[in-house]
Amino acid sequence: MSMDRRGFLVSAAGAAAGLALLPETLPAAVRPSAGPVNLAIIGCGRQGRRLGIELIDKLGEGARVAAVCDLEERLARNLAGRARDAQVFTSYKELLDKAKDVQAVIVATPTHLHKAVALDSVAAGKHVYCEAPLAHTPEECAEIARAARGASTVFAVGCEGRSNPIYQLARTFYKTDAVRDSVSVYAQDHAKTTWGRPGDWWLDPATSIGLPGEKGVQQFDVAHWYRGSYPKEVEARGSIRLHQDGREVPDTVRATLRWADGVELHYDATIANSFGGRHETFFNTNAAIKLAWTHGWMFKEPDSPQLGFEVYANRQQFHNDEGITLIADATKLAAQGKLKEGVGLPNLSHYYALNDFLAAVSTGRAPACTASEGARATMVAIRVNEAVKKGGTLTFDQAALTGV
Amino acid sequence: MDVRSQDHEGHAGLIGPTVAHADAQPQPPRESGAVVVPEFGGAVVLAAQAMATRFELVLAGLPEADLRAAGEEALDEITSLHARLSAFEPGSVVSRLNSNAAAGPMPVAGDVFALLSLCRDIWRASGGVFDPTVGPLMEAWGFRARAGETWRPPTDEALARVRTRVGMHLVELDDAARTVRYTVPDVRLDLGSVAKGWALDAAAIVLREHGVSSAFLHGGTSSVVTLGAPPGEDAWHVEVRGLPNDRARVAMRDQALGVSAGHGREVVVNGAVLGHVLDPRTGHPARGARVAAVTGPSAALADAWSTAALVAGGTPAGLPEGYAAVVV
Repeated sequence: MSMDRRGFLVSAAGAAAGLALLPETLPAAVRPSAGPVNLAIIGCGRQGRRLGIELIDKLGEGARVAAVCDLEERLARNLAGRARDAQVFTSYKELLDKAKDVQAVIVATPTHLHKAVALDSVAAGKHVYCEAPLAHTPEECAEIARAARGASTVFAVGCEGRSNPIYQLARTFYKTDAVRDSVSVYAQDHAKTTWGRPGDWWLDPATSIGLPGEKGVQQFDVAHWYRGSYPKEVEARGSIRLHQDGREVPDTVRATLRWADGVELHYDATIANSFGGRHETFFNTNAAIKLAWTHGWMFKEPDSPQLGFEVYANRQQFHNDEGITLIADATKLAAQGKLKEGVGLPNLSHYYALNDFLAAVSTGRAPACTASEGARATMVAIRVNEAVKKGGTLTFDQAALTGV
Repeated sequence: MDVRSQDHEGHAGLIGPTVAHADAQPQPPRESGAVVVPEFGGAVVLAAQAMATRFELVLAGLPEADLRAAGEEALDEITSLHARLSAFEPGSVVSRLNSNAAAGPMPVAGDVFALLSLCRDIWRASGGVFDPTVGPLMEAWGFRARAGETWRPPTDEALARVRTRVGMHLVELDDAARTVRYTVPDVRLDLGSVAKGWALDAAAIVLREHGVSSAFLHGGTSSVVTLGAPPGEDAWHVEVRGLPNDRARVAMRDQALGVSAGHGREVVVNGAVLGHVLDPRTGHPARGARVAAVTGPSAALADAWSTAALVAGGTPAGLPEGYAAVVV
């Protein structure tokens, strides 16, 4: 079985390899924005604050946080205090109505509230960066994607792998003979945390899409992006291993996502143990690529051909395995004697995702993760969570994914 | 020359609260080097690694699930501030300032500007004995060298050259524009002498917002914030190691504590052991005192003023009202 990126490229994938990623084009009339983009942050909880601080700290040349909004005023004021002259709102509709200088909106509300905020923002003519997952039902994902496609503004989804320089670099290797054919994919997300209290929306069965939905969506999207296709079925189960506090949402999840060519993604998420953290590993016949968001490595098989960049490469030892550090501009860093400084990214991946969004707004080009791609990744993640709840196997609705 | 290093830099691990909860069996203290952390029934203990040390939160007085959720958010705040304020993280705000602020004014976030303004105010009030720009002096004296690395003590000429880029007066803060500019190249801000306290103050705010009213927070045991008292007690009773017995125990309730000492990272020059706290007025390691402890409402101020007290060798001029120093 050699159907992978070579086979995929040759056969143009399609039905044989699962659903191919659809070409992404923005509507013709996206308006580039000159100068710093005036932004509003809607939702100033943990994630909104994280994005807002990154914008204020590092992206001031490209963006100005002009308004912030949260139902809880103290959260909005907390973030506003870090920006300069940011208006504070407790109603996003009022913000859209009154903050006329706002050109773009960051949607960081609870997932089940994304749809209303995103659709109203698009209707108000704003560029939108919506946190992943895009929404909490497949239908809402499709509705948002449709609205985004019909708009003349940029709509980006925060699937951060696609704008991450290490993930982009590694993908160029993944698409060549450097790694050859896919054997399997492994994604884990381990943390030791309560993930909040049972009453929090992400732990409320009525609004939660579980660990696969809220967190796994990022990793599933990386797999889709690398493989160029979507899985056909998922087998999953979950349990509560640590947090016996009345919650119903599993704190530990295992899932196997299968592609039509037989390749499987083994997903392992828990909030009961932190060992290994969060990473994805693509096992291929010539090499494995391990990606850990700020770092990446290639582990070559002894019988695989030498690659040109290996001369300059920085290496790290992991027990019996030697990893070649994947970092952009390795040759340049080597020439400057700074290769060791380049073993990881200086910023976390949301920095690159926001930067990509601002560049898309400024130039009118498509963002790294469009509404359609974000919708598909979210629909897959929601389905994985449904399989967890069922404790069995479910198929993916290829027609629904195609239709997004 | 010999470089001695221990597990963390900056303020030394010198304090250990001694707590017995009236309703619970006191447990043997858990010791790690100079650290003693309280453990008592009903308390939730959370920890994270940040700022080259271990931050620990001992929380009580609410159901466990509430304490854990609040504590995790407080630790998030600490780790976020580490990522933003560390001079050793290439993507941090401080690193970006150190790389670019000599080229022109750089806007910074409101909380970062507030911290830098605080540093400027303490630098002024202390007559320059607290100075967060001594990083180049630290390098010159070998405190940034790796263990075993060859290093020579700086000559007077070399020190004089280094000192031209040391001094908070070289960091221009524009209050109206909220920008930062270095007036000469190669200034290096390093907020290590205040950032742990700043992070603990921020964590305490998060905890209070979640209704936590009984907590003991520390960063590497040298910076402490207390909220209320342990359930059933009147205060957190903290022991500061290295101080005379009659002055070593501090009762803390909604108070902060900062402890500085020269040891923890040392160099040996001609047989003399020199601690890592630099005197910005001379460019040499401070020799005025062994240990300085400062208590007061804010951990950031207690941190910074304890460094000032250690350098000054006594209660520093300008110590604000509400703060007290013990220096030996």
